[in-house]
Amino acid sequence: MTATSAVRVLHRWPRGSGLLATLAVLLALGATVLATVGPGAARPGLAQQTQSVAAGLRCPVCTDLSAADSPAPLARQMRRQIQRELVAGVPPAAIRQRFVDAYGPSVLLTPPDRGWGRLVRLMPALVAGSAGLAGVLVLRRSLHRREAGR
Amino acid sequence: MSRLRRWLLLTGVVGGVAAVTLLLAVGLRSGDSQAASPLQGRAAPDFTLPGLDGGPHTAVRLSSLRGQVVVVNFWASWCTECHTEQAALNQTWQRFRNAGVVMVGVNFQDAAGDARDYAARVGASYPLVVDRSSRTALDYGLRGIPETFVVDRHGALVHRLIGPVTADRLAGLISPLLDGSAR
Repeated sequence: MTATSAVRVLHRWPRGSGLLATLAVLLALGATVLATVGPGAARPGLAQQTQSVAAGLRCPVCTDLSAADSPAPLARQMRRQIQRELVAGVPPAAIRQRFVDAYGPSVLLTPPDRGWGRLVRLMPALVAGSAGLAGVLVLRRSLHRREAGR
Repeated sequence: MSRLRRWLLLTGVVGGVAAVTLLLAVGLRSGDSQAASPLQGRAAPDFTLPGLDGGPHTAVRLSSLRGQVVVVNFWASWCTECHTEQAALNQTWQRFRNAGVVMVGVNFQDAAGDARDYAARVGASYPLVVDRSSRTALDYGLRGIPETFVVDRHGALVHRLIGPVTADRLAGLISPLLDGSAR
């Protein structure tokens, strides 16, 4: 299509369509600006921040799934709640604390670093250390026996 | 192996077993106490929720009920155990409605039409509200439904019941709050 024929095609459009098209473009631009800077605008990093907070919280109706990973409706509501509070400027630690207030410390996927939580955190290291020590003792004992047997 | 070493080894093994047993006991006990809410004894989270019928006069604000014992029951039309406890809830409402008790049914994750049909079918005549965003459910630490919370006259959350309630159990919890023998 040449430029002249394109102009002819445009001329065949109903009167007022140009105005409508201009309005549509302006509306689209307005919507884009609102979506970018308006109050409901998706803040860069908001989704990641929401996921990050949700990843540290246990889905209360699931078995060993975080609120970030669970498809359960309650976990979805938790993510929405977290996002709402982040948008409202509530710090992530305060958001986590609100869930702890309602559900107890068991809602945290990582036990808190105090009281029994600290003991639970240290337990793998304690068990591994004890097992290693027991292994060394048993090895030494069997070596001594062998030497004594020669 | 010397006698001392043998004793040390035995003490270590016994100590290890005792530690694991203690941890298991603590873990299992905390599993049992899931029914105990961390909110118990503290101010019940306030809410203002719209009525199930969508009318402007049926919204309920918990803090406006201060001075009365409030039974907050989370339910849904799709929840079979909610059907199980419905007769007990109706019975409790009829028994205590003029004695300073308000019962509030909070509809949770439900279709509005289904919830209204259900309420009409089972004859729930106490205030029914909708928690559309599940915010109230999360504030109360809800893990499933049905769950029922009892709030005393001072606005403190005093009891949490997981699963279907019975009329006797509810009456046993409400009565002491009314006659002042509790708190």
